[in-house]
Amino acid sequence: MYNIIGKKIKRIDGYEKVTGKAIYGDDIYLKGMLYAACRYTDIPAGKISKIDISEAKNIKGVEAIALYKDIPGEKRLGPIRKDQYAIIKDEVFYSGDVIAVVAAQTKDITYAACEAIKVEYKSYTSVNNPEDSIKPETRLIHPEFKSNVVVHYPLVKGNIKQGFEESDHIIERVYKTGFVEHAYIEPESVTVIPDPTTKGYKVYGSIQNPYTTRKTVALFMGLNLNRINVFGSTLGGSFGGKDDVINMMACRAALLAKITDKPVKLTNTREDSIKESYKRHPYIMKYKAGFNKNGKLKAMKIDILADSGAYSSQSFFVTWRSVVQATGPYEIENIQTDIKAVYTNNCYTAAFRGFGSPQIIFAQESLMDEIAEICGISPLEIRQINGYGQGSITASGQKLSGHKVSLLQVIKEAVKKSNYKNQIKKFQELNKINKRYKLGIGLSCSFRGCSLGAEGTDATSAIVSVQADGSVYVLAGLNENGQGLRTSFCQIASEVLGVDIDKVVFLEPQTATITDGGPTVASRSTLMGGKATLQAAEEVKKVIFKVIKKDLKVENIEDTIWAKGFIKKNKPAENIKPIKFEDAAEKAYGAGLNLSAYGWYSSPEVSWEESTGQGNAYFTYVYGCQVAEIEVDTFTGKINILNITAAHDVGKVINRLGAEGQIFGGVAQGIGYGVLEDFNIQNGEVKSNNFDEYLIPTIKDINHIEPVLIENPDKFGPFGAKSLGEPTLELTSAAINNALAFATKKRSYQIPLTLEQVFLGKNLKKPSRQSEDIHLSKNKKLSPKISNIKITTPASLDESIDILNKKKCKILAGGTDLIIRLRMKSEQQELLNIYNLPQLKGITENNSGISIGSLVTFSEIIKNKIIVTNFPVLVKACSLIGSPQIRNRATIGGNIVNAAPCADAVPPLILYNAKLILKSQKGTREIKIQDFIIKSYQTKIKPDEILVSIKVPKPEKKYYYSYFQLGRRNALNITRMSISAIVSLDKNNLVEECRLVDGSLFSHSQRLTVIEDLITGKELNNIIISEIEKPLFELINREIGNRWSSEYKMPVFINLVKSVLKDIKDKIGKS
Amino acid sequence: MINLKFKVNGKEVAIKVEDSKRLLDILRDELGLTGTKEGCGIGECGACTVIMNGDAVCSCLILAGQLQNAEIETIENLERDNILSNLQEAFLEYGAIQCGFCTPGMLMSAKALLDKNPHPTEEEIKTALEGNLCRCTGYIPIIDAVKNVLDKY
Repeated sequence: MYNIIGKKIKRIDGYEKVTGKAIYGDDIYLKGMLYAACRYTDIPAGKISKIDISEAKNIKGVEAIALYKDIPGEKRLGPIRKDQYAIIKDEVFYSGDVIAVVAAQTKDITYAACEAIKVEYKSYTSVNNPEDSIKPETRLIHPEFKSNVVVHYPLVKGNIKQGFEESDHIIERVYKTGFVEHAYIEPESVTVIPDPTTKGYKVYGSIQNPYTTRKTVALFMGLNLNRINVFGSTLGGSFGGKDDVINMMACRAALLAKITDKPVKLTNTREDSIKESYKRHPYIMKYKAGFNKNGKLKAMKIDILADSGAYSSQSFFVTWRSVVQATGPYEIENIQTDIKAVYTNNCYTAAFRGFGSPQIIFAQESLMDEIAEICGISPLEIRQINGYGQGSITASGQKLSGHKVSLLQVIKEAVKKSNYKNQIKKFQELNKINKRYKLGIGLSCSFRGCSLGAEGTDATSAIVSVQADGSVYVLAGLNENGQGLRTSFCQIASEVLGVDIDKVVFLEPQTATITDGGPTVASRSTLMGGKATLQAAEEVKKVIFKVIKKDLKVENIEDTIWAKGFIKKNKPAENIKPIKFEDAAEKAYGAGLNLSAYGWYSSPEVSWEESTGQGNAYFTYVYGCQVAEIEVDTFTGKINILNITAAHDVGKVINRLGAEGQIFGGVAQGIGYGVLEDFNIQNGEVKSNNFDEYLIPTIKDINHIEPVLIENPDKFGPFGAKSLGEPTLELTSAAINNALAFATKKRSYQIPLTLEQVFLGKNLKKPSRQSEDIHLSKNKKLSPKISNIKITTPASLDESIDILNKKKCKILAGGTDLIIRLRMKSEQQELLNIYNLPQLKGITENNSGISIGSLVTFSEIIKNKIIVTNFPVLVKACSLIGSPQIRNRATIGGNIVNAAPCADAVPPLILYNAKLILKSQKGTREIKIQDFIIKSYQTKIKPDEILVSIKVPKPEKKYYYSYFQLGRRNALNITRMSISAIVSLDKNNLVEECRLVDGSLFSHSQRLTVIEDLITGKELNNIIISEIEKPLFELINREIGNRWSSEYKMPVFINLVKSVLKDIKDKIGKS
Repeated sequence: MINLKFKVNGKEVAIKVEDSKRLLDILRDELGLTGTKEGCGIGECGACTVIMNGDAVCSCLILAGQLQNAEIETIENLERDNILSNLQEAFLEYGAIQCGFCTPGMLMSAKALLDKNPHPTEEEIKTALEGNLCRCTGYIPIIDAVKNVLDKY
């Protein structure tokens, strides 16, 4: 039994995180420090003909501008192949390349200076499709390497030709996955401080792998490793992402620190971060499988093309993991796998949680379900027939032994916990009844090599140091990324020494104080670093044992128990008292013994033969199985994830709280990967450049996740622990895809399973929103940031109108939209801040209706009793806007005047015949809301007018209502489409009045009068509802038939209109 | 430049700042309250959430000129006399934190909810936190933590 291993332990770095005291990269402030920013390229590929910094360098407050020529050391960088530049010379490889870096006294000056650097280019045709990249006629992205192919790994086992000949069935499928952004919530930040004592630099920041950063900066600066000391700040998420990108940033900041001899901080905006940082590799995967009619796999041929983007970075290692694992956890005699990574002018791709496994698992596990279907067996049976068991031989010819091959065990546990078999029956029954919402259940499983395997050196360090009072320090050569490594390592020291974890302190790491422990990657921390910590703690324990063995009258350390701060004999003897740990420590210290020990754990041997792809790739493996239960709205293609059961063999749980946390977090990222995260890059230009475009799951997109932790202790890990972080993510998308096939009886071969992918079977290109503003702005702004504004705050409405009469101002109300748009503007903006004017607030009621002040917020609207009673559609629509933070500030007036086609308050106001009251010095006028909005972002407001209030007449009769809003997620949506509907009946129960208003469909919301007229005077029944289809199609086709989105929007909108009418019909039926 | 008077965590603040400064910049750069984080700058992630006059808001979407006489509460106000609030304790106990970068905003959204509604349903918790993105925890431990905060927090 263990003291603390396996229990739920609160994280030791939690206190500073819940109090806001933890210091993250951008929280660092030093007196006299300078702020840096990057001058990014304007184009994704081309040759620079001129860089003009003359204007920028004369801006007051600019202290340095650094270019390629200023680099003191190695100009070409990269973790494996040197093909990357922290500052480019004259060749542009992708849209995140940096041409110059600026340091100035304030952030604003720095950005202004970047804008002032003028660059001239000759553009190349950007190479963006990896299939084009390998064509012989394609321009070489890095001509010095003679080929656009970065790496090619072959793997051959058995005789593939013979395998196919012996197969009863052969199927071929092509699977595709896209770029994925890490989307750590903390954008990258690095601060470099000149250090006169070492004649080098101290580097602080959001750094995942401090030793890699040290090596890169040392090379770039032309210094020895011991001149660079890297301190990790608290890291705001990484997931593999804060490696190469932060190393490049650290180089730039170091160069500026050298030039200015001052501390320099470089922090990315979110847009810079998404533009510059690397992504998960998109894969195109061609699978050909041969199998017997009973489902036994005979042969598999796999060809994979990975987009490495502009640089090779980690592509060598990412694709290597894929080649080892591409056939999944199945024993197949005959295999041929070829994987190539190729250069393009896209964002470069590198490490991301999963590291080459999520892509192939999506393909492989989708394929397995299809094979099962062809053979008429269940998804479970196909895996039982082919799955690895003890002693199985992998694709690379490795015999799985020396650890428990628990594939079938994890499948069994996942199936049991999810009640898989019963759920299948239940879902099949329910799907017979429900025409619209279909339920689906699917599973996926995997094996995963632990740690780095044959990638390269795999060793790590830890120090455990006991102080004279019995307190303990732990240091490690690995880094806390948020995953909980500090807590696990302190638990291990606490377990070995028998001291309370509160007595153990994890020291802030710096590269100068402990040997290079390799990168914190590959789910290797607990396994490798935990083992190093264990070794160090055991060394110290032995030293302490020397001074107490006499007192305890024992010979061997095995005869003692170290727990709860005491050391005692394991066979208690009356006359021998347990010794307090602190007394033992003091005694050992007094005896002049060294109470610090170095743990160094080097991995067991692995092997790899490059030409054949054969070898013992990893020294141990983990196994996992996930079951996804989903609901699909077949009217819209929207997937709702109901439950994910995740069963993982972890060897041994160290911290149960942390282990479950890994599952929750990894599965959530897997849901994002499978369903939401559609990175949009077109012709090398990043379109989804912030979280309004790149959608990660919100709290409402995650329902239930059931973690199942299975323990088969491994001989190599501390207490038997292996890996967990990455397996949790890699399985989810495949399970969801299989559940989708169950629900809809249609298979998808591409993720993410966006609305369009599910509904149409293909993805559609999205438009840009704020990115459009960036690109279309006359004075194109490189980094969106608010600068150059002037605010006037009038005391009254009259004063406001007076000011508007005299000069052109933008009106600032809640600001939730305007402030975002201000970030794109360089020219000065004058704002009239009316937010606190009492005349524009409040909701009042009179006989005919209500008056809503233009400054009433959405939060006020949705809790107002009069509105709730009389205008339910308005309440419904407003409650779905943004988030509480937005609804607390955003005003109904702002929503109307802004006139976005997706403005959610507008359709219900049109529905309820609202009128707007506008005031200027010339007087007051009233206008119907539908007459006010001309088209997208255009209204009839005059420059000197203010929208004062909105008058909405009270409904004079009973209306039945229905509303549906479609968003890509379940919260924080920009409405994809909405439909608002009310219907009243005459005394014969025929439709007396019908009003229908679209949202986000036409260029501005409008009544669907053609449909309203069709329904009016009739009984609302299924026949009439189906009759609307044709005229509605004609209406939409006329208005938006040519748009990129119409292929999806037209049929879906028709479905939605029919469904709200059906909903009203049902409500009538019930009343 | 604007002369501003407002309250932060119960204390009067009087400063002169540029018109283009956001509440987030003022807290972090002028007042040294770096517990409030910037994640996106466009109100989409909630890392910069503070409580303004009783309501959760994104401090990246409030301009200096809109702060006159406002009352602001930030993460730095949650721990009193070195004692963590029950809400903070619950976050620790349920594992609602990993990297911790979203945590201050998440806690402020949760506090804004609990200040008004001490016994929220799960749905109310989700709605209150729907504007706060977390990339590490999968949200489930966060919901559990908020659910289990007792009457006093």
